[in-house]
Amino acid sequence: MNLQPLYDVKSRLEQAAIAGTGLLAEDFRLQRAAEGIKPLAAASPVFAKIDNGLQKLLSASGEERSGQLLDLLALVDAVAYTQGSSGVEGELLPLSQTGAGTCELLSYGQLQPLLEALNGTGGGRMNLIKDIWENHPEYFGDFRVLPSLIAGLGEGYAELAALIEDILKAQSPGITVLLKKDFDPAGKKDMVRRVEVICALEGQKATEWLKEVLPEAKKDVRGAIITALGADPRNGGFLLELCKGERGASREAALQSLALQEGKEVQEFWEKEVAKNGSLVRFLASASFDWASDLVAAGLQSRIEQALAKAKPLPQESLDELLLWLSSAKYKSSPAMRDFWRWAEEHLGAISQIKAANGKSLKFEVQLIDGLFFILCATAPLSDLCLELWEKDGEGPRFLPHALIASMFTRPAAEVYDRFAPYVLTSKPLVGNRQKQELHDAVLKGLSCIHWDEVQERYAVHNAYVISLVPVAGCLSLYAPSAGDFPIAEPLDPKWIGRLTEAVWKTSYLGQQMPFSYGERVDSFDVCLAGLVNPADEAMLQAIVPWFRRQAEETGSWIAYSRWLLKYGVSPRGILADSMKKCKRAPQLYYVWDLLREAFETLQAEETAALLEEIWDAGFFCKEEKVRETVFNKTIADLRAGRPFPEWNTWWKT
Amino acid sequence: MELTEQTILLQAPNPAAAENGRKLSKKGCFSALCRSQDDTVYWGECAGSGKNPYRVSIDWLNPEAPVCRCSCPSRQFPCKHALGLMFERLAGKKFETAEIPEDIADKRARQAARAAKKESGEEPKAKRPNAAGQKKKLAKQLEGLDMAEKMVNDLLTAGVGTLAGSSAQAYDKLAKDLGSSYLTGLQAAFTRMALAVRRIQEDSGQSDTAYAEALRILVYLRSVINKSRTFLEAKLETDNYSAEDTVLFEALGGVWKLEDLHAVGAFREKARLVQLSFDVSYDEAKKEYIERGWWLDMESGRIDQTLNFRPIKALKYVKGEDSRFDLLEIPVLYTYPGEGNCRIRWDAASSRPITGEERAVIKTLVCPDLTAALKETKNQIKNTLLPKFRAVLLPVGRLGRVGDSFVLEDPKGDRIVLRDRPEDGKDHASTERLELLPVGIPSGSALFGLMFYDERDKSICLHPYSILTPERMIRLQF
Repeated sequence: MNLQPLYDVKSRLEQAAIAGTGLLAEDFRLQRAAEGIKPLAAASPVFAKIDNGLQKLLSASGEERSGQLLDLLALVDAVAYTQGSSGVEGELLPLSQTGAGTCELLSYGQLQPLLEALNGTGGGRMNLIKDIWENHPEYFGDFRVLPSLIAGLGEGYAELAALIEDILKAQSPGITVLLKKDFDPAGKKDMVRRVEVICALEGQKATEWLKEVLPEAKKDVRGAIITALGADPRNGGFLLELCKGERGASREAALQSLALQEGKEVQEFWEKEVAKNGSLVRFLASASFDWASDLVAAGLQSRIEQALAKAKPLPQESLDELLLWLSSAKYKSSPAMRDFWRWAEEHLGAISQIKAANGKSLKFEVQLIDGLFFILCATAPLSDLCLELWEKDGEGPRFLPHALIASMFTRPAAEVYDRFAPYVLTSKPLVGNRQKQELHDAVLKGLSCIHWDEVQERYAVHNAYVISLVPVAGCLSLYAPSAGDFPIAEPLDPKWIGRLTEAVWKTSYLGQQMPFSYGERVDSFDVCLAGLVNPADEAMLQAIVPWFRRQAEETGSWIAYSRWLLKYGVSPRGILADSMKKCKRAPQLYYVWDLLREAFETLQAEETAALLEEIWDAGFFCKEEKVRETVFNKTIADLRAGRPFPEWNTWWKT
Repeated sequence: MELTEQTILLQAPNPAAAENGRKLSKKGCFSALCRSQDDTVYWGECAGSGKNPYRVSIDWLNPEAPVCRCSCPSRQFPCKHALGLMFERLAGKKFETAEIPEDIADKRARQAARAAKKESGEEPKAKRPNAAGQKKKLAKQLEGLDMAEKMVNDLLTAGVGTLAGSSAQAYDKLAKDLGSSYLTGLQAAFTRMALAVRRIQEDSGQSDTAYAEALRILVYLRSVINKSRTFLEAKLETDNYSAEDTVLFEALGGVWKLEDLHAVGAFREKARLVQLSFDVSYDEAKKEYIERGWWLDMESGRIDQTLNFRPIKALKYVKGEDSRFDLLEIPVLYTYPGEGNCRIRWDAASSRPITGEERAVIKTLVCPDLTAALKETKNQIKNTLLPKFRAVLLPVGRLGRVGDSFVLEDPKGDRIVLRDRPEDGKDHASTERLELLPVGIPSGSALFGLMFYDERDKSICLHPYSILTPERMIRLQF
């Protein structure tokens, strides 16, 4: 049966209700629809009833129309519902079960706060999502959460979007199906993040998809796709083509990716490119292939040779380019690169004569020596070379930091200690004071790069830390840190700590630092020492604890030394009040609270109460009777009653 | 009952309270943790913002309904401190065994005495019906119906499309007057219609669906007004003021009490229910959240619903419901008047895991085929007083796609298109989730959802809410 006349009538009745029954008499379309239903009316009683209703409606008075219209609409609706079709013809294909999500019995109460935070706006969401990620990471893989999580990549709050990106990278690779669905190659930052997540999850398997979406990709998404293509070593040829065809940021991305590829054609391309434009060498900074190493070594040597040959002050742009090439030597250790360093060592005297544009000495030889040191910190294969240069230099201070780090990378801890500890003197020399202090400082320079990594529970060379110490202004950006630490061969010999605490010279060339954010400065020597200590090593603690307790009393830096002691699980009781007295500034209540809060987490409640008593007895807050009663006495009583240490708001308010 | 995170969430008035409780526990705010020798009472102190810590206790004498007590001034019940104490227990913190404190013991004894009194069968004094008051109320309602009818007629004469700007405001005011006539149900329907029209003004792209909704409400109003007038006039004539088993009572705005449902015989004993799905929606007309649970009766196979209304103004103080995965054993189950998927309530229940045998029983309660479900749905939705959807549990032959449409094919080969119901909103979208499932849906499973008429292509479709495979239940909602 053709039901179109029924739907026409329904539609016209609805229009009449929207437009008003006052216009019914002039509604010729309704009248036409009423005509159309007549053939059906003849065939079925229910349509006859509709037809009858229509006639009544069209001839009704003004007051009756509304009621009749609604009654008729109810009838027409009922017939339409009854006649409603169901099902669909055609081949039924199985669902493309992606298997992307997990499917656990998680309730509304469990998922709703997360979904609200992901889909909503406003503050407080970041902390909530972080909390749930820490306590219930399984919620994020739920098939009901994943779509919202992916949509969260477009979050305007960049920090939250970055967190969501990290969370997605920790999911199963199956979710990439969802990330690829509705992917917009011409999209914005959220699509860039999608590319990054897909590549993190699929690795080289993503290449096919990346190539598929690249033709439509625009702007940032294009750059991200090209960058991602660099992760697959089979993409050399493809990236070469892109380098020829792309422009602007996309070309830079292609060059960056191509620097990670091997192959003769790639090598030839780079040789031509850097010959045309030397500044492009920056793209080779993270490449460690021998061809890249050879290319940088040759370029660097030829540029220094040119500077030497000119015998004129070096223009700023030439210096900048020279530094750029030097910074690009990181991660490179091919025989040609080693030969370059040997050549440079032989020519240090001549290099020291190169002058800056203002006529003053450029001290480029210092930059070369320091450059090698920083590069060594990230390029362990250069260790033998550094030891060789140190020996060639007569085991002088110039290459001593290099030799120390090189030995840490390659030799047993005890051997390193035996060889280098004698440079740290424990009694003042009778002769050769200056030379011996230079050697002492060089060892400290090397040691200041070593630190105990609490997370990985190992000793490592902290590359970023070294970079931040670069003494020559303008080099910071060139020596951009390669993220990550590099583990040394064996844990540091504990004897180092005892030796250093007994050293004659306890100041390092780095001056003072602020290890904690309270404006309190301490000597870099102690910062270096604190970084070297493994809190689980009893022998180290036996040496460092008395030293820090003494330093606290003598310097008045009560926050830094107390915090270090707490880090080692040791109470600062007995020296805390004396150190506070020695300090030039009166202790602030917040700093006291913050320190004792940490003490409460590390020590027993009774010990924390005793520290509070020690501070109170020293009389710092005696002018404020309220503080005594409600802050000190109450907290001491609470701690002894087994209650937790109060929050700052509670402490201060009371 | 074993204490799990899920059971704590069920006790919490809302997810935020549970989260705050968890934080208190995590931050180590609790001290002096103790428990009674019989392991039924747990208590402790929780540091708060005040000088003295709060004293909090939980009495698990009835494991299904623990009694939480706290000295804090919070009006949320249970408060975050009590929930925090539950998390302390869940985390396996050490509780010293001790004598139950005197104040808790006293309260416990008083509660036991009250329960004993109730057990002894002492019924509270029945309220005497106030005939004069009831008569006055009915008369007022009839007046209100006249006004509502006039509003409908006026609106249709002018046209629903005119419901905008100042006329909408005047209309809102008139609708509020219906509340004064004890017709809050009609008032909400009018407001809902006005909101639908306002939606069109904000987004003309929604005009088709919004006008269709507005007209459906008008048809509903016409029907309620006519039927209610007859019903109320008959009551007035016969001086009958007692509650009656009719949907009109609620449609007008009446609120059923359990004792009234008991009085009209709308209850049965020893029911066993399994929740099929849970969802939450927001009713803008009444400014409240509606937490809805869909339940399968293990005896009759009926599918009914629980509705928990949480007005925005009292959101913190009305306990929220949550998904339930266990089987509920209910001593007395009350069913609201009506047809199709009725509203159900209870005041006490115990839960336990569903057994393998009960899973097998569920399989026998599935609607035999699509044709029968379609017939029932069409019969329901053509009734102007009933919802335009019906909850059904259908047997799965195959699940798949035909073109862009998701399709369910029953074992007999009949098909229905799976599609999100537009009225449910984006937050209820669940059809596409079928493709995200980590497991395939085997033949012999059942699919629970809402069958509805889709105006767009004039077809009956199914909005999938959950899937029951032989081994497990997969909630596409919650």
